[in-house]
Amino acid sequence: MPEIFINGQAIEARDDQTVMAVAREHGHFIPYFCWHPQLSVVGNCRMCLVEVEGRGLDIACNMPVAKGMKVFTNSEEVQAHRKAMLQFITLNHPVDCGICDKAGECTLQDYHYQYSGQRSLSHDQKVRSTKFYNLSNRILLDNERCILCLRCTRFTHEVSKSMALGVERRGDTSNIRPVEDRPLSEDPYSDNIIDICPVGALLSRQFLHKSRVWFLQPTPSVCPGCARGCTVQLWHRKPEWKLKALDQRQNESIARVTPLDNPAVNGPWICNKGRDLAQVFERVRADEPMLKGRPVTVPAALDEARRLIGAARHAVALVSNWGSNEELETFKDKLGEVFHCFVKEDWQPQPGERLEDDLLIRADKNPNTTRARELFGHAEPGFKDGTDLVLVWGEGFDFARLPSRARIIFLNSYLQPENGHADVFLPVSIQTERHGHYTNFQGTVSAFEPCFEPKPGVLHAEDLIRALAAPARGHP
Amino acid sequence: MPGRQLIMSFPVTATSHALSEYRERGGYGALAKTLGQLKPQDVVKEVTASGLQGRGGAAFAVGRKWQVVQYDDGQPHYLIANADEGEPGTFKDRWILENNPHVLLESMLIASYALNVRNCFVYIRGEFDLPYRRLAGAVEEAYAAGLFGRNILGSGFSCDIVVYRGAGAYVAGEASGLLSSLEGKKGYPRNRPPRLTVKGLYQRPTVVNNVESLSNIAWIISNGAEAFKAVGTPKSPGTRLFSVSGHINRPGVYEVELGYPWMKFLDEDCGGVPHGRAIKCVVPGGVSSKVLTGADISNLKLSHEDLWDAGSTLGSGGMIVIAEGTCMVALLQVLMRFYHHESCGQCTPCRHGTGWLHRIVDRIVAGDGRSDDIERLYYISKFNDGTTICGLGDAAGYACSGILDKFRDEFEYCIEHKRSKFGGNLECLRSS
Ligand SMILES: Cc1cc2nc3c(=O)[nH]c(=O)nc-3n(C[C@H](O)[C@H](O)[C@H](O)COP(=O)(O)O)c2cc1C
Ligand code: SF4
Ligand code: SF4
Ligand code: SF4
Ligand code: FES
Repeated sequence: MPEIFINGQAIEARDDQTVMAVAREHGHFIPYFCWHPQLSVVGNCRMCLVEVEGRGLDIACNMPVAKGMKVFTNSEEVQAHRKAMLQFITLNHPVDCGICDKAGECTLQDYHYQYSGQRSLSHDQKVRSTKFYNLSNRILLDNERCILCLRCTRFTHEVSKSMALGVERRGDTSNIRPVEDRPLSEDPYSDNIIDICPVGALLSRQFLHKSRVWFLQPTPSVCPGCARGCTVQLWHRKPEWKLKALDQRQNESIARVTPLDNPAVNGPWICNKGRDLAQVFERVRADEPMLKGRPVTVPAALDEARRLIGAARHAVALVSNWGSNEELETFKDKLGEVFHCFVKEDWQPQPGERLEDDLLIRADKNPNTTRARELFGHAEPGFKDGTDLVLVWGEGFDFARLPSRARIIFLNSYLQPENGHADVFLPVSIQTERHGHYTNFQGTVSAFEPCFEPKPGVLHAEDLIRALAAPARGHP
Repeated sequence: MPGRQLIMSFPVTATSHALSEYRERGGYGALAKTLGQLKPQDVVKEVTASGLQGRGGAAFAVGRKWQVVQYDDGQPHYLIANADEGEPGTFKDRWILENNPHVLLESMLIASYALNVRNCFVYIRGEFDLPYRRLAGAVEEAYAAGLFGRNILGSGFSCDIVVYRGAGAYVAGEASGLLSSLEGKKGYPRNRPPRLTVKGLYQRPTVVNNVESLSNIAWIISNGAEAFKAVGTPKSPGTRLFSVSGHINRPGVYEVELGYPWMKFLDEDCGGVPHGRAIKCVVPGGVSSKVLTGADISNLKLSHEDLWDAGSTLGSGGMIVIAEGTCMVALLQVLMRFYHHESCGQCTPCRHGTGWLHRIVDRIVAGDGRSDDIERLYYISKFNDGTTICGLGDAAGYACSGILDKFRDEFEYCIEHKRSKFGGNLECLRSS
């Protein structure tokens, strides 16, 4: 345990630590571009230069601790060098923040304000390069904004292992480029490079020029795309930036999805499917209760459902593995005795989708199979002779497999043909409209929060379950 | 001849590079002595005692580098001869490769034996044609004679060699950039630590030495460290090969005993400057070493200590003589174009700084200089010093500030009058 000194503070460091790591642990911030906690050290941006007494300047991210060393993270020399590094970085940088999606969350902007604020010292033309280079069907690259920190290339080599990116040419004409025979579009984790790019060089095509980031706010959530249950942030417009002039759908939509750093589950990464959750959540919604396809009021639908439950001799429930822990537990508690329950898999792997790998992606494409099976067992759905009522909760079950004589109560969120075939159809809210928890395949529980209000007529499943279990008439 | 000769000690003929003639000169005797009589650590001790300094540029003690490698650490070790010879003005390793390739091979075998190396490499500049063919021919001869491969000379010692041709990047001559390139990657230099002698090629302990540094080993083993130290000066033992070019009557490669008077060497051995012109300045050892004026060098000896005292270095031994009447602005433009073109682009200050230096000097030459340009050139040089991964960024800065320090007035003149004081001339003119 060598003792070192950072800005005069004596610190017990571990032998294998770098000065960068020790400084971070003890609240001495050292600015950096290329360093990343999950990637190997390349030490190329030179932003983390610190001064060591008797040894001059060197980079903190690659500096092993040594007993008694005295490090200064903010000396005059260090400050002058930081300023100079920012001069070099911006020398050929277009500084087109006005049209850059990263503006507002760009490390280069932040550091410029914090450590320099100086105008460019150059009078000469900037080196021009490609803008909007087509990296993949998901990502554009602006080489002029790139500061060559090599986080993106390292990500594809060390984390996603697609090895899809490299550097072409050299010097100030170096360009990040895709490797010919390893397309980035086949890397299911590619979009993480957009987040880790410290500047606006890597752009999401889906998010391109869609919103300034300061109009948005993040809501913590959990990706339901597979049993990993990565924690994510769903970005949507801040209430004060919901403008009448905008299409209402834009005010109420998920603008983008980013990872919510979580060492217990997904670290700082998610897969591309998690980025595309809007495609799941923004399908056309069902918002009217129905009896055999005929729209009715909520009380009328509930009455009929309760009547069917009361009259049934043998009732089966197919319980959704997209239900939250709270919903599943309520179902077990309130209706577990009334129905013979099976866990239903709402989603199956889609054609072309990566089934499973050793980074994040799991073969089970549902978020809460773990808790559902804990409560309702592992048996495959089956219908005994004499089954006269089936409650189907959630999408993805082929109605042709239901016993032909059985009546059907169907709880679903999306507008789907089956809705009209049910004896009673009840629209339920989705994850972005309610609180809850999922239990992932490791047994780790993560919470999600609502970002939008459900429409009138759409019920939370938990309320609905309570209402169905209530003996007398009543509103949920 | 400027003093005693250890490497260029024989007349070059059409066949003097061949194994048979090398043998006639006593070649591979040092290897036989090593394998027959010496323990590996004896070799390291002898080389350390000789005080031999690296000839690639930094003059780092060869023995000290070798001592870091732990003979019995259970890992593979590698030895690499750096034959990339990319430093402008430097073409002395080429002489060894063309005319005395076996002295390099013999020395590498001895070094491999000393360092427990099973596989060694020569990383040779891609543009080299004859040197490559001569070296490849020598390797073939050596294999045929049982000097490489398994159980060399019946000693039980085995060693193989691979000659690898570079792809034309100056930065691949930097030891760690070389290793990246040799591993098949882009020739990006690496941050230290770790030192290459701890984690080098394929993350294994690796010694990278310059061709000329290695080529001294056979002589040291044959004649002993004491004999080697008797050549040269106490702080600069041995000889150095200088490749002399520029405004000089007899350009070429010369082996000079260290401590030899510099002006005597230029005037007598190299025939002086054409048309009787005076020396304006000299690039002592490759353009990454700071220039010295004619006045600076008049009393200097060719030794590491004299050059260090004068604020420069013997560097790579690439000596460029520059006559009076030469435009230093135009000269700096050539140098800055080179560094700009060769920066690997990995680290921020060098990637952008070299281009910035180049553009400013271009502008001054074009007559568009600005009053703050000189200050800016110094600024860029200063913030490339000690802030980069490899020495290329620093070298660009030294080359620039070195010339500015000595010839600032020419730059001021050019900025003020929008034309060069010497007409942009780079030739050695007959009359002024
Ligand atoms: C940009 C750059 C280029 C270099 N090019 C060469 C070269 O072409 N040949 C060489 O022997 N050393 C070159 N060097 C020096 C090597 O990094 C290394 O110090 C040397 O090969 C070690 O050998 P030595 O100790 O025997 O001199 C270069 C260094 C730098 C920074
Ligand atoms: S694109 Fe972004 S992440 Fe990749 S090297 Fe450039 S700045 Fe770094
Ligand atoms: S790995 Fe699974 S949980 Fe994580 S983002 Fe992808 S689909 Fe969602
Ligand atoms: S100093 Fe220049 S050549 Fe050396 S690693 Fe940095 S960018 Fe590359
Ligand atoms: S963070 Fe250390 S060099 Fe980039």
